[in-house]
Amino acid sequence: MNIIEIEHLKKYYGEVKAVDDISFTVKKGEFFAFLGVNGAGKSTTISILCGRQPADGGSVTIDGMSLDGHADEVKRRLGVVFQSSVLDAPLTVADNLKYRASLYGIHGEKWRAQLEKLTELFDLSELLRRPVGKLSGGQRRRVDIARALVHDPEILILDEPTTGLDPQTRQSVWSIVHRLRKEREMTVFLTTHYMEEAADADRVVILDGGKILADATPLELKNTYTGDYITFYGASEEELAVLGASVERVGEAFRLEVKNTAEATELVLKHPKLFRDYEITKGKMDDVFLRVTGKSIGATGAEEKR
Amino acid sequence: MTLKDLIVRNCKLYFKDKGLFFSSLIAPIILFFLFVAFLGGVYKDSLLSVFEGVEIESRLVNGFAGGWLMSSLLAVSAVSIAFTANCVMVQDKMTDRYADFCVSPVKHYQLALGYYIATALVTLLVCSVALVVGYIYLAIVGWYLTFTDVVLTILDTVLLVLFGTSLSSIVCKFLKSQGGITAVEVIVSAAYGFLCGAYMPIASLADAIGKTLSFLPGTYGTSLLHEHFMGGAIDEICSGLAGGDVYAQRTREGFDCVISFFDNAVPEWACYLIISITVVLLIGLYILLVASPWKKRSKKVHSS
Repeated sequence: MNIIEIEHLKKYYGEVKAVDDISFTVKKGEFFAFLGVNGAGKSTTISILCGRQPADGGSVTIDGMSLDGHADEVKRRLGVVFQSSVLDAPLTVADNLKYRASLYGIHGEKWRAQLEKLTELFDLSELLRRPVGKLSGGQRRRVDIARALVHDPEILILDEPTTGLDPQTRQSVWSIVHRLRKEREMTVFLTTHYMEEAADADRVVILDGGKILADATPLELKNTYTGDYITFYGASEEELAVLGASVERVGEAFRLEVKNTAEATELVLKHPKLFRDYEITKGKMDDVFLRVTGKSIGATGAEEKR
Repeated sequence: MTLKDLIVRNCKLYFKDKGLFFSSLIAPIILFFLFVAFLGGVYKDSLLSVFEGVEIESRLVNGFAGGWLMSSLLAVSAVSIAFTANCVMVQDKMTDRYADFCVSPVKHYQLALGYYIATALVTLLVCSVALVVGYIYLAIVGWYLTFTDVVLTILDTVLLVLFGTSLSSIVCKFLKSQGGITAVEVIVSAAYGFLCGAYMPIASLADAIGKTLSFLPGTYGTSLLHEHFMGGAIDEICSGLAGGDVYAQRTREGFDCVISFFDNAVPEWACYLIISITVVLLIGLYILLVASPWKKRSKKVHSS
């Protein structure tokens, strides 16, 4: 069942086509990733999806309801974590959660029950009375996610949630998200420019210049746009010359790109003596992205010149 | 309930943000130090020069000058504190917080009301503290207020708070950057005291400036406060004098207790009418500003 259906969505800023006639669907319970460089149209799409700005054309349907005329019902189904924290730094964690819950009409007993649930889920008991301004980056992000889930949404939208975070905090954010998916079967809509994050998704849409260039599972993308890689350990360049293909030195090993796993298996059977210590891996999402868009993404999400 | 929580959130943000809280007190603090440094002395000398040869007890002079300080302080605070309190709204817009509100089902009018009422409450609270401190100060240096004066000073303060809140809500609606906030804060802190006649009596300024300032509604609110804080002292000074009424009227005109619009003294009821109508008009304008973009957006959103 599709929980999000977007058809022919358009958003123009003068001559710039931020979102240029895109259509896609997201299934209930799916971990969906929107991958693209900065300015690809990811955040604009999210912004329209959340009702923050109008589209210039197309339609958005969430859980069977069009945003047009059902904005409030749709908004109750969405929980959004923005790239930058939207918590009120001078206020306590409990206050931040309470005032957010209030926007959804959650008060009194219902609120207390919800707070208890969130405190347990996000391990917040030690943090509730502390001002947000005194929390670490990781703790703050945890509260950001808890705040987005304060009204039990069906879809969690993560708009570049780990940009600018240190690796440990990123790891902690993802462990929470994966736990939520496992325990609540929640639909997660992620926008990111981190390839490794997109690689964990059930489905990836690659967006560039406001257009969708690819829409498939990570495996399908890898199989379609990249080959497999065989990495040889302990074999010399001279020995590998018999393969009749150029190999790339990677540290102490050599790497050979083949069309697919079947070709790799063929080589193993044909040259068993070369395969003393080796590994066969799929291409990476970076390779997929490069092949699809002709671009690579830098650490900040900007397009990287090659 | 949602509105109540929005109001509490906005009030808490103002009081917990020390920078915001103290910057709102800059104008009143400037005025207080100006008063202590020289303005107090200037007003006392001015008063004594008007009544040259008349023996006026120091308690009466102090009560008069204290009344000027308190009325000016409240007139400036009601506007400058409102502007700073409304910075919560601007800061929400500068960050993604306002956008975050918009992805929830909360209505735009609830957000706008939340900011407006919180600003009014914060300003009223701080002004009420100033008012109480002012009464205590006057009770010590020289109390010449009647019960009616006390009631009217409270009414004047409420009206000026509503005026400041409405004016700042409209101005802050257009601010979207820290630079904008700082510029407005500086202008309000430095200039508003002069514009409303809180630092210097308008009567003592050049005629053209006085006429120009008489077009500003805040001036009439300040004048009401001057009258209700200083009127009792002026009447007391003039009570035993021959032609006391004439002296009292001249003193009132000289110290802005009575304000003139192109040489015509504006009666007290007219001052109330001007400031009340201004508040209503400003609130109406704010409602229009809040409602218009929202209506446009809801018509346009998600059209196929």
